[in-house]
Amino acid sequence: MGSAWKGPAISPAIVKRRGENFTRLTGEWMTPRRRFLSALYGGRVDKVPAMTLSSVITLDSMEIADAWFPEAHLDAEQMARLAATAHEELGLDTVMPVFHSQLEADALDAATWWGTVDNWPATNDHVLTDPEDFKIPSDYLKRPSFEAALGAIRLLRKRYPDVGIVGKVYGPWSVGYHLVGIENYLMDTILDPDKIRRYLEVMLPACMMSAHAQLEAGADAIMWADHANRELVSPETYRDFLLEMHKEVTVEMGGPSIFHCCGETTDRIDYFAEAGWDCFHFESQVDPHVAKEIAGDRMSLMGNINNPTTLFSGTYEDTYEACMKVMEAGINGIAPEGSVPLGTKNAVLMALADSARDYSDAHRPDGRLVVHDPPPADNGAEAD
Amino acid sequence: MAQLSDIANEFIRDEIEEFLERPEEIERNLALFSRVSPAMQDIAAALIDGDDVTVDRLTREALDGGVGALEVMDDGLIAGMGIVGIKFREGYVFVPEVLVSARAMKAGMAHIEPILAASGVEPIGTVIMGTVQGDLHDIGKNLCIMMLRGGGFTVIDLGVNTSPAEFVAAVEEHSAHLIGMSALLTTTMPNMAKTVEAFKDAGLRESVRFMVGGAPVTPEFGKDVGADGYGKDALACVELAKKLAVEVN
Repeated sequence: MGSAWKGPAISPAIVKRRGENFTRLTGEWMTPRRRFLSALYGGRVDKVPAMTLSSVITLDSMEIADAWFPEAHLDAEQMARLAATAHEELGLDTVMPVFHSQLEADALDAATWWGTVDNWPATNDHVLTDPEDFKIPSDYLKRPSFEAALGAIRLLRKRYPDVGIVGKVYGPWSVGYHLVGIENYLMDTILDPDKIRRYLEVMLPACMMSAHAQLEAGADAIMWADHANRELVSPETYRDFLLEMHKEVTVEMGGPSIFHCCGETTDRIDYFAEAGWDCFHFESQVDPHVAKEIAGDRMSLMGNINNPTTLFSGTYEDTYEACMKVMEAGINGIAPEGSVPLGTKNAVLMALADSARDYSDAHRPDGRLVVHDPPPADNGAEAD
Repeated sequence: MAQLSDIANEFIRDEIEEFLERPEEIERNLALFSRVSPAMQDIAAALIDGDDVTVDRLTREALDGGVGALEVMDDGLIAGMGIVGIKFREGYVFVPEVLVSARAMKAGMAHIEPILAASGVEPIGTVIMGTVQGDLHDIGKNLCIMMLRGGGFTVIDLGVNTSPAEFVAAVEEHSAHLIGMSALLTTTMPNMAKTVEAFKDAGLRESVRFMVGGAPVTPEFGKDVGADGYGKDALACVELAKKLAVEVN
């Protein structure tokens, strides 16, 4: 049995802020980084990780870190300080510095609106009508969005060697939405599918460059988002346009991969597993039991705490209860389903780490490793 | 009761047979398409198939041939879009197919709208539509707008990233009583509540009705933000607008 890890899983600041009622899990022995990575691969954990795999930035956290939207999107120091609140303030096992979805698109000349203190950035004009016009700028990774993101990852790696750092890449399907415009892009999946295949082909290298750069800067894993979700396209669209490409991505990325696709994705989880993603970060529309049944041991599952109803409109108790239900389904880690609304209260988000601690405490038959389905009590029957 | 064999267009017959499951919808569409002329069935079929060039040509030919604009809109375009809406709801088609059919409907409506505007037909009401602040997604909103216009409403489209103040100003300017708010992102959904609050602050809340929709929006969330109704899709949006219009007219 390994010796207990005594490092700063939860900083003294958060213990102080949350008062005497705050307790770490007795016998906690993994660092948050080790726990996150082990769970990502479906491995042993001393505690179910509670994570951010998108953004848990709130107005509360901006005030605590004195780092504010929109400046924090393009300033490495502010981005790092703000990202760190996920661990420092909320007790999560990961931090995620790229809060927005514009990293690649902005560096590829999309017109970006960087938002306001309480509004997210977005692409406000589309620049591409022909895949043959697409070019990766020679200074792509030096553009402001990358300078900030890569700089923040380096700072976080230095400041938090024991905390999981999750990078974020928008894949070519989602970058296509930004550069081409979602309406034209989706129509061309029917009207001119070869054009869409060409878009994917030319944009993929830009997305891979982003992934490699974030891993090199110190990210432990990449959350890769391609929004081929049920609210937009059929599962066959994912199969026909993305499956083979994603098989290449998961091999070539060179680091642990977490796939994200919004919405109700039950009908395509099997394809995601076939693509070779290490983990799927899924949303609350998907029943975690069903997701687990489909994914089996092929792919880990993390998520899927509802944002609007539970985290934003609900209470600490609502969130705690929702997290417990998801963990009881046996998924590998809990996290908000996507980026939380900025007005979400940190006091509610704290239920993520607290519930993970309490669930794990009750599901460690040997006091060391979490077992989601403990064996039934000994009924006296003789073993074979 | 009308039979499939009463419908001249084979494509329409196949669509009803293959994709419609609810008895009341089968009955309604059998009655509809067996009543309308073969020319209107052809327009509906081309629209379902997403063939904008054919819809454009057939609409023009029908109008030139003396068919009324309202008849072409209701019996051809909206009838076809009704089938598309059902297929979308049931998961037989997805947004790309709906967009392509919407493009075909737009091609037809380009001929019809000027005629309706010139004829002085009174709209059911005026709807202010916008995607909420911080959100630049407008596919769902645009589909709703198209169907609302087809359903007899005047629609003022505020576009995307619409602030609460812009919603208030538009309602005042157009003396509208119906507002439709759309959001695709869970991060921007709270701005629906801010918009409702802005109407309270402006003393206008009692005189308007709010509709909300968008992929992550639920009826429960709609209630939480103080909306008067939730529409799952563009067809539901039109039904909701008609219901709420009765309340405020």
